[in-house]
Amino acid sequence: MTRRMVAFLAALMALMVLLSGCSDGNDAKTGSIAQGKELVYATAKDINDMNPHLYPGSMSAQGMVYESLVENTEDGIKPLLAESWEISNDGKVYTFHLRQGVKFHDGEPFDAEAVKKNIEAVQKNAKKHSWIKLSTKIVSCNVIDPYTVQLVLSETYYPTLVELSMTRPYVFISPKNFINGETKDGVNGYNGTGPYRLAEHKVDQYAIFEANENYWGGAPKVKKITAKVLPAGETTFLALKKGEVNFVFTDDRGTDSLDVEAMNKLAESGDYQIVRSKAMNTNMIAANSSKLDNPIHETAVRLAIWHAIDRETISKQIFHETEPAAYTLFSPNVNYANVELKKRGYDLEKAKKILDEAGWILKDGQTVRTKSGNKLDMKLYYDANSSSQKTQAEFIQNSLKKIGIQLQLVGEESTSIAKRRSTGDYDLLFNQTWGLAYDPQSTVSAFASESSYYHTTSGITKADELYKKIDQVMVSTDEDTRKSLYADILTIVHEEAVFIPITNGNVTVIAPKNLQGVSFKQTQYELPFEQMHFK
Amino acid sequence: MGSFIIKRVLVSIPLLLIISFLTFVLINLSPLDPAEVVLHAQGVPKITDELIAQTKAELGMDRPFLIRYINWFMACLQLDFGKSYVTGEPVWSLLGPAFLNTLKLTLVSVIFIIALSILLGVICALKEGKMMDKSVRGISFFLTSMPSYWLAALMIWYFSVKLDLLPTSGMDSYKSYILPVIVIVLSYAGIYFRIVRSSMVSNLNEDYVLYGRACGLPEKKITMHILRNSLQVAISVFCMAIPIILGSTVVVENVFAWPGLGSLSVKSILSRDFPMIQAYVLVLAVAFVLFNTISDIINAAMNPKLRKDL
Repeated sequence: MTRRMVAFLAALMALMVLLSGCSDGNDAKTGSIAQGKELVYATAKDINDMNPHLYPGSMSAQGMVYESLVENTEDGIKPLLAESWEISNDGKVYTFHLRQGVKFHDGEPFDAEAVKKNIEAVQKNAKKHSWIKLSTKIVSCNVIDPYTVQLVLSETYYPTLVELSMTRPYVFISPKNFINGETKDGVNGYNGTGPYRLAEHKVDQYAIFEANENYWGGAPKVKKITAKVLPAGETTFLALKKGEVNFVFTDDRGTDSLDVEAMNKLAESGDYQIVRSKAMNTNMIAANSSKLDNPIHETAVRLAIWHAIDRETISKQIFHETEPAAYTLFSPNVNYANVELKKRGYDLEKAKKILDEAGWILKDGQTVRTKSGNKLDMKLYYDANSSSQKTQAEFIQNSLKKIGIQLQLVGEESTSIAKRRSTGDYDLLFNQTWGLAYDPQSTVSAFASESSYYHTTSGITKADELYKKIDQVMVSTDEDTRKSLYADILTIVHEEAVFIPITNGNVTVIAPKNLQGVSFKQTQYELPFEQMHFK
Repeated sequence: MGSFIIKRVLVSIPLLLIISFLTFVLINLSPLDPAEVVLHAQGVPKITDELIAQTKAELGMDRPFLIRYINWFMACLQLDFGKSYVTGEPVWSLLGPAFLNTLKLTLVSVIFIIALSILLGVICALKEGKMMDKSVRGISFFLTSMPSYWLAALMIWYFSVKLDLLPTSGMDSYKSYILPVIVIVLSYAGIYFRIVRSSMVSNLNEDYVLYGRACGLPEKKITMHILRNSLQVAISVFCMAIPIILGSTVVVENVFAWPGLGSLSVKSILSRDFPMIQAYVLVLAVAFVLFNTISDIINAAMNPKLRKDL
């Protein structure tokens, strides 16, 4: 019987293997990649709603399909759907001359009328776009002639072009896709002007983008791009090994589905290359300077924490050197951020000295410093869903123990952390700067914003001066004034140590070895797929 | 029998009402402002007080709790679970396909689990204590205790990367079913096989078996009797296997990128898509109550003694 049983089991196994060997004649849609022709990238999440005037969709997918009037590049603002523009002397009127002959994916012409309709559709939902200051300053959008459009603002606002260049919301969708002349409650199609069009979308399975052969910039060389939903990192790795997927990049929200070891293995196999962008943003800890009943209110305490964080080790051990250590809030490649600031490194002795001088004394036999009966005890909030934040938090907690600071760690959902940030109910919390395309202006204007960093900055002595300078810089029209204002702003927050930088994040791409032209945009959320081609 | 069925179904209605109410209460107990949750779920970068007020009014969240519950419940009866916070699409349009995908996977797996556990259970019971019995029990114990995550990764590595026979993941053709089904079957068959085996073994020592043998009934006939009696216990367990597996495919779906309930629930929980979570819990609760009722009815049909309980 035993033998019969074994035979039966063996037969069962053989049957399964045979069954699986049977070909069903139609190759699965994503089963085999046409090598050297198409890209299939793994993404942890579905592309979601591709409405370009709302926020649930995947930015990398939206970036392939929709375009803005202008583009933000390393060398400043460049033409995109607008070929040229003039700014009135008072800085309130922007006149754009549109590129002619551009068509939406559904064949509708892209013209001044389409621009007006799109901008008005975005403005109808202005409350949802309050993060982008421009949305509060647009008065009207007027058609001058079929290819000239005028944007009128209520006041001068220097980041206008930068904000118009962002992935959303000021991008253009065919007016035919509007519902009741609006987009805020949904659209009935996703026709943009971009290099790729959305050809097929199966929720939570895959989305297929096909090259737009009539693209005004020339048809892209990679004809088909598929976004395949693979939630588990292990599966992603195996799918890459098998060749079902041949491309991965750090997608939205910075969740890396592959760990560094897996990436290196893939590169060693000879089929893949790893391409890393320059610094895109900064991961940091925001300290609540406005919390008067907590030690974190003191500059000395914040400086001591700054000196007690061993960024180099964090970069090496936790990020395997994929994220370099950061010593300033913005890396020097951010516009206006190449400012002379005092570098503060890892120095426990110095941290202890600063605390001693500030009156935080470590009594014999105690582990936590005290000052007039109060303990040097604070809470650090981190995103419970981020394993790297948790590890960093534990590491920092341990470092601070050495200088007599007690740090309590609290892991929460990102939504609760955002809420704490806006209500000021925190001592320290993990956060990150917006990213190259948005900085410095988006992060800096958030310094003064109630829903962002107001509580981080409002407790410092120079708070009023800081806010005044922020208001000035946003309406400045002169480059030199702007530079010096930004230098002052960054110096104030650096001296007060309210933002304690840890590492610089970047975008990492794993691509087939024979893919060329892998480059980056000024944002961690998108890639210029249209520039890629196979050898 | 008819009156038993009616009674049994009537009993499950208040249970469902209580479950639906609890689901709604639990989610509304969350310390977060639902309007804020909606805006976060939609990925709005900056949330202002006026925006929260506007969203509240749009979603009718400014109405009292009980009224919201009654409205929600009445709508649920028509399969209208509201709109997803994230995409604004009707919950059912997302939940429906995901439910079907998981149901397909579950039913195929359950069929294999039943076949395999009856087969092995019977064989092992008849060979109780022998080498065969011991080895099957050992293997099944080993497989059941293996984390399915790990088992799945191993399977993908071997069958799809190394042998290049099957797709690693996704839901493209019948081939996509093979690996996830194997993983589910290997994880669960061991549990159900033990149930079949132990009830067979206990029946083997019953008086009627001894009597049958004494009367000189053929061994085959006796075995069939034993099987019939032991399967009575197993049937209710198998019935419950369907909702249990339906609700526990999360890990397997995650590894195999299967677009089903498990993936959807995780996604909804992470983005706090409350209407989606409510609907998911409700659908599972209905599945549990439904299969529980069915198994009771089947048992009652097989064993008249049980009908008096209600």
